[in-house]
Amino acid sequence: MRFYLRLALDGMKKNRQLYRPYLLTCIGMVMMFYILASLSFSPAILGMRSGDTVSIILVLGTIVIGIFSLLFLAYTNSFLIRRRNREFGLYNILGMNKGNISIIILLETLITALFTITAGVLLGILFSKLAELFLLRMSGADVDFLIRISPVSILASFIVFGAIFFLLLIVSLARVRLSNPLSLLKSEAAGEKPPKANLLLALAGVVILGLAYYFAVSIETPLSALALFFAAVIMVIVATYLLFIAGSVALCRILQKNKNYYYKASHFVSVSSMAFRMKRNGAGLASICILATMVLVMISSTGCLYFGSEDALRGMQPYDMTATVFMDSAASCTSENAEALRSIVLNETKGKEKNVAAYSFVETYGLLENGELDLDGAKEASYLTNSDPNILGKIRTVILISLADYEQLTGKRADLADDEILVWSSGKPYPFDKLTVKGCRELEVKDTLADPPVRVSTEDTIVTALIVVIPNWYDYAAELSGLDDERRDLSFVRQRIAFDLSDVDAAEDERLLDAISDAGDERIGADPDCGWLYVRTESYLSYKGFYYDLNGSFFFLGIVLSIIFIAAAALIIYYKQLSEGYEDHSRFAIMQKVGMTHAEIKSTINTQVLTVFFAPLLLAGLHLCFAFPFVEKLIRLFGVSNRAVLILSSVACFLTFALLYILFYRGTARTYFNIVSASENA
Amino acid sequence: MSILEVKDLKKVYTSRFGTQKVEALRCVNFSVERGEYVAVMGESGSGKTTLLNLLAALDKPTAGQVLLDGVDTGTLPEKNIASFRRDQLGFVFQEFNLLDSFTLEDNIYLPLVLANMSHAEMERRLKPLAEELGIADLLKKYPYEVSGGQKQRAAAARALITEPKLLLADEPTGALDSRATDELLSLFAEVNRKGQTIVMVTHSVKAASHATRVLFIRDGEVYHQLYRGNDSNEQLYQKISDTLTVLTTGGEIK
Repeated sequence: MRFYLRLALDGMKKNRQLYRPYLLTCIGMVMMFYILASLSFSPAILGMRSGDTVSIILVLGTIVIGIFSLLFLAYTNSFLIRRRNREFGLYNILGMNKGNISIIILLETLITALFTITAGVLLGILFSKLAELFLLRMSGADVDFLIRISPVSILASFIVFGAIFFLLLIVSLARVRLSNPLSLLKSEAAGEKPPKANLLLALAGVVILGLAYYFAVSIETPLSALALFFAAVIMVIVATYLLFIAGSVALCRILQKNKNYYYKASHFVSVSSMAFRMKRNGAGLASICILATMVLVMISSTGCLYFGSEDALRGMQPYDMTATVFMDSAASCTSENAEALRSIVLNETKGKEKNVAAYSFVETYGLLENGELDLDGAKEASYLTNSDPNILGKIRTVILISLADYEQLTGKRADLADDEILVWSSGKPYPFDKLTVKGCRELEVKDTLADPPVRVSTEDTIVTALIVVIPNWYDYAAELSGLDDERRDLSFVRQRIAFDLSDVDAAEDERLLDAISDAGDERIGADPDCGWLYVRTESYLSYKGFYYDLNGSFFFLGIVLSIIFIAAAALIIYYKQLSEGYEDHSRFAIMQKVGMTHAEIKSTINTQVLTVFFAPLLLAGLHLCFAFPFVEKLIRLFGVSNRAVLILSSVACFLTFALLYILFYRGTARTYFNIVSASENA
Repeated sequence: MSILEVKDLKKVYTSRFGTQKVEALRCVNFSVERGEYVAVMGESGSGKTTLLNLLAALDKPTAGQVLLDGVDTGTLPEKNIASFRRDQLGFVFQEFNLLDSFTLEDNIYLPLVLANMSHAEMERRLKPLAEELGIADLLKKYPYEVSGGQKQRAAAARALITEPKLLLADEPTGALDSRATDELLSLFAEVNRKGQTIVMVTHSVKAASHATRVLFIRDGEVYHQLYRGNDSNEQLYQKISDTLTVLTTGGEIK
């Protein structure tokens, strides 16, 4: 046994160029897994205002890391095994049977697993406090400085990664069992067929990518973006793989056909070896590209969510506080009731209120087509579950207010005959000259409004919202609510008073919310026939806490996952450089003998390596540009619609990532040049 | 006038820490006339490969000179050496050294492309050469698709297409079977008949017996040489064998 142990340790030591980064990555993944797992059970996190939600987000993140670790470590492990086949073949020829070799592999895996999991958990314990402080600070919660150890998370780390290493072990053993010693010995030197250009696949890649890009830029509403997002993501992934694997080779082949281009000293060697290089590395490069895109999209969108939280909050709660009364019928929206609501509020706010807006409204939604709004159509195609972009693009939220309220809110006068209306539309101006709710009277659009008469919450503008000002509001609202009993819940009549506050802190804010809704309930209790059903109060400050918790933890998770993905991309790059180096050295030795100068060789290497490593970065950048309209609409679902912040965070992300990438490239390129030139001297 | 002159050539290898010195070439003198076909023979470790590397300017001599057409290759600056090698010399190696990522055609074009020649001119040169070497039908194939003999003929085409002053061959038949060896040797003889100067390093008696002169190297020095004169290949073969027997048994040449 000691003999096998020595062989296993020696094997790893001899291959430290391969093993060191592998071990580091394993440790990193265990560490991140432990950190996220321990945070999701941390009392400090659970004690946050929205601790439960944050905890669920973190648990989801933990699961993502677990799955990603499995996939990624399987990839690197297969690379390691392939590189070491020669060694195992030699052992086999020297008289070891496959059982003996299996023992060595078993021991190596066992050592790797024990070492990396233990180290990962220890580092995780060390850094989890840091991560916790970071997360708590981001969401603006209180922090303490107790270091906690989470036994559950330690156990989970050992179980999950133990299982992953067990699977890797099985794969490695199966590989050794299935191969014969000669092929093990030769597996690295097997003659390689020239890459065939599969034009069809290359073309498919271009078409699919074009289609995905087209979806991205032609999308109109956030909900259709949500529906198409996953389809587009899959398409981009497929297209990226096709382009790198088939497209690159096809491109090289086309260049080779152009004799005047191809037979130039600066293109000749690069183009032809590039075809081979891409055949071998296409998948790896596509993976790098996709990891890079994921990192970029994740960080820029979660970053934008976080830094745009303020904005989002204002969008969702355009007034500091809102009190809304749900009415039993339109007829109950009397000025007496409106006055009652106003006095309840003013009684509590005691002059701290500003910009008061009080109005009655009916809110509903339907499918708008040629000026006709079909409520039933929307009922069947509930806009949260339906994914047909054709339907989603036609959904309109309609907010109906009276002409009297309009004049009182804006201070402007408007002359409207019966059945004449004013329309404001979020997004593009309302395009039709009439608006008819199916089953109700036809309404003529007298004018469209440039500004909404009240501040509109972004919740209403996820789908395009219309504010309709109508003179005989009572009749029409009654008509609407009589339309369909099933839709009563959607066409509730409401009275609302919304206002800003000055000099109100969170505690006072909370007191106000409770006091107003209590006073409302009291009135309903005293006079059940007043027409009020119930009162709902909302405030900007109460949303704020929730928002920062949520977006803070999204951003945190985005950063953690990005670190993992970047580490993975880095390791792929490193292994690529290593294997390229080994394969290139003989090639460049030949070229030198045939009459290439050192400078020429160096510049060809540079061109190739640069192309190979910067193609993924550039394509990721392009993906990011086209993902922009998608992301912009998706984050609008979370209430953030600040294009400047998104552009800023995208550009910042891309530059940071590019910088990291270049630094890492330079580091690994040195390894590569060392391998290539070392063999020249030998 | 001699196309190649080697004067007092000496090469000493020093181990990495300078503690041990190995004298690969002690003092080599010989010259090659235009149109000659010279075989350099010797056992492993006799300094053959070192000599070839110095002739090819792949390595710098410790002392002495290599004059190719009057130019001292040892004094050429590094940046000119590669183009000098490309324009003046052709190489054929034991292991073919074809690039697996190129078709045979592109492998042959490689030195011309590096010399920035136009594609039309390259094609003009390749056509008769490929016919002569019998690889005209194989040009679009990749090295892994053809036999060793075919690879070596492609390598020869790559060496000859630059119309070099000197063709250097390092053990060119070492990786070939006997039929391919015969084909390649008669090919070299044919090329030589048309005026190509060849220097071939080999320890194959059969390969050497095709040359017009045979140099024997032992312990880093030219020990002996044989001229073909009017001998047939078979007669030369016999003379070489005899010489080698004497050399290896340690006797003196008469």
